[in-house]
Amino acid sequence: MEVTDPSWKEAEVELYTIPAQSSWFLWHDIHEIERREFEEFFSESSITRTPKVYKEYRDFIINKYREDTSRRLTFTSIRKYLVGDVNLLQKVFLFLENWGLINFGSKSDHVLLVENQGKHKAKIEQGSPPGIRVTATPNSMRPITAPPPVEERAEPGVKLPPLTSYSDVFSDLKKPSDGLICGHCGERCDSAFYQHNKSIVNLCEKCFKNGDYGENNSADDFRLNSGNSAAAVWTEEEILLLLESVLKHGDDWELIAQSVSSKSRLDCISKLIELPFGEFLMGSASGRLDSSPSHPVEQMKTDGQETREEKEHHVDEDEPLAKRKRVALISDGDTSLMKQVAAMACKAGPSVTTAAAKAAIAALCDEASCPKEILETGGYTNLAVDRADGDKDTDMEEEHADKEDLPVALRIRASVATALGAAAANAKILADQEEREMEHVAARIIDQQKLESKLKFLDHLELIMDAEEKVMEGVKETILQERISVLQCAFGGGITKRWDHTYVK
Amino acid sequence: MKSSGSTAWKGPVKFRMPTAENLVPIRLDIQFEGQRYKDAFTWNPSDPDNEVVVFAKRTVKDLKLPPAFVTQIAQSIQSQLSDFRSYEGQDMYTGEKIIPIKLDLRINHTLIRDQFLWDLNNFESDPEEFARTLCKDLGVEDPEVGPAVAFAIREQLYEIAVQSVTSARESRLSKKGRRGSDHGSASKASGLSMDLVKLFSFKSSVVRKRKDLDVYEPAVDMLTNEEVDALEAREERHAR
Repeated sequence: MEVTDPSWKEAEVELYTIPAQSSWFLWHDIHEIERREFEEFFSESSITRTPKVYKEYRDFIINKYREDTSRRLTFTSIRKYLVGDVNLLQKVFLFLENWGLINFGSKSDHVLLVENQGKHKAKIEQGSPPGIRVTATPNSMRPITAPPPVEERAEPGVKLPPLTSYSDVFSDLKKPSDGLICGHCGERCDSAFYQHNKSIVNLCEKCFKNGDYGENNSADDFRLNSGNSAAAVWTEEEILLLLESVLKHGDDWELIAQSVSSKSRLDCISKLIELPFGEFLMGSASGRLDSSPSHPVEQMKTDGQETREEKEHHVDEDEPLAKRKRVALISDGDTSLMKQVAAMACKAGPSVTTAAAKAAIAALCDEASCPKEILETGGYTNLAVDRADGDKDTDMEEEHADKEDLPVALRIRASVATALGAAAANAKILADQEEREMEHVAARIIDQQKLESKLKFLDHLELIMDAEEKVMEGVKETILQERISVLQCAFGGGITKRWDHTYVK
Repeated sequence: MKSSGSTAWKGPVKFRMPTAENLVPIRLDIQFEGQRYKDAFTWNPSDPDNEVVVFAKRTVKDLKLPPAFVTQIAQSIQSQLSDFRSYEGQDMYTGEKIIPIKLDLRINHTLIRDQFLWDLNNFESDPEEFARTLCKDLGVEDPEVGPAVAFAIREQLYEIAVQSVTSARESRLSKKGRRGSDHGSASKASGLSMDLVKLFSFKSSVVRKRKDLDVYEPAVDMLTNEEVDALEAREERHAR
């Protein structure tokens, strides 16, 4: 429910939201509810608690809140403005807050309290709180004859052993997140562990061999449960070894398992699958000796066929594929040249490859003075790429069998040049794109910053103006009050008020 | 309303802490056998006395102090309690006494400076509540700050209450004239009360003047480790 604020502003009327049950509130008067709540102000028993004082407190607090209704007014921020007992001020403040006359728009006290309670985690402190200090007096004349534990604490400002800290009490309940704990010796079971048939007790190998089965357990109760735990832990070096050996040996899991010494064949395969790009390597590993990524290459094959039909056909789906491929490992030095060429050619799109191939062929032709027509066949580029796949592309070979008369060396050179050119072109395009994007973003950021600083400046101005306004209002109010009192005196005629007796000291 | 005029004067009240809960601030600083135990807390004087020994034993056990501390701690607490109780039978002057309470404390890494007015006559005042609000509004995270602030307030209130008892006793002995002036002298003697009439008169506003705002505003500073160490070293030197 909204209440219009019949305030000083005649020009405009400001609307503030207060809860419906507080609609009794009036600016120019003190309501019965307030009189009841704050009897001490109205009992005329003290000079510090008068209705005028109460009204001033109340009005000031509400006005202060309304200067900025979005922020939650705190008692501490306002008590410095008001003269008087802070406990009383807090009472007024809480009264107004509970009735929703202030802090109604912002989060209520209750909500914040609940939030804070959720956020409060018990802080675990080591040692005694510093407020209670137990220090040694370093310059005492008497020799310190205290028992050895005290001797350690001879230095000033020393730390005491902790008072029942969390870790002491709950340490046995804590289980490390990785691995299993031996129930007996409390250490991790890295390798095989023995699982009890009936309960959840585990024993590491050592304990089992030693015969420490724990109470009432015998050797029969424990089942050997190896294999998983050993394979579960893959260190960084093992992963590196695995990847290298996969690239080197491709499909040959025996060799891979040998090079990654501590893991079995199956472990290696499963770990490779788990790795994010593992599938690429897997796919490449299965089916050829010299591995090179097969998915994009197979895609290239189909693309190549299409390209053979329509030369300039650019397949978009190669783009995302090429992007994915970028994540995979680039083959290292000891892989064959053709493989590398194929890899690079895959990264570039087929049309790019085509163009690069054409350019490369032209250059080569100039060099080698080979008849151009031989090389400028429709599907040459694809042939070059496909050739790189190796001998197993039987279908490809059939179609291009007649083209084999071209010297292999020449083809190789053409392919290499092609690939390099293709890769370079693509790289340049991407770099340009990135640069443009960055420029866009930078420009936007600068614009935004400019706007923000302007806004801040304006806000600041506004605050200053508001403060000034408040001051003026206060002055106006006091003037009005004085005027009223003068008028009252005038109307009252000769009746003197008790305040007329100035308290002369 | 009566002839005495402006200040309301209630009859003398039996001595007690002028807060909602009658808790005594207890400060301990015991040196023994090369160890020093410093602490500050509030105690409820209506607790049975055997609680003191129980508390002392518990403290020694928790902090792993040498057992000789038990008697020392218990004795110190007892003596402070009996001091408090010695005032209890007597009257103290209440009446309008709004005093400024100043805080200038260092608690671990937090430095608090503040000043505010406190009405000694307000028996519903609550230092703990005030300290809680202060810490919450200023976002103080260290949980030790609140109790330390409340304790400091209590200590000051206790001191002033004691002063008012002694001054009441003196003025009664001297048997000066009317009650009004009695109270005036009592409040003057404490030297702390404000000129209430001027402040709360009809003409002036209860809104504080701008120049005073900084004084009455709380200031919280966080110290670095080096500053804390330096301050602690200085305090130790002063203590000796």
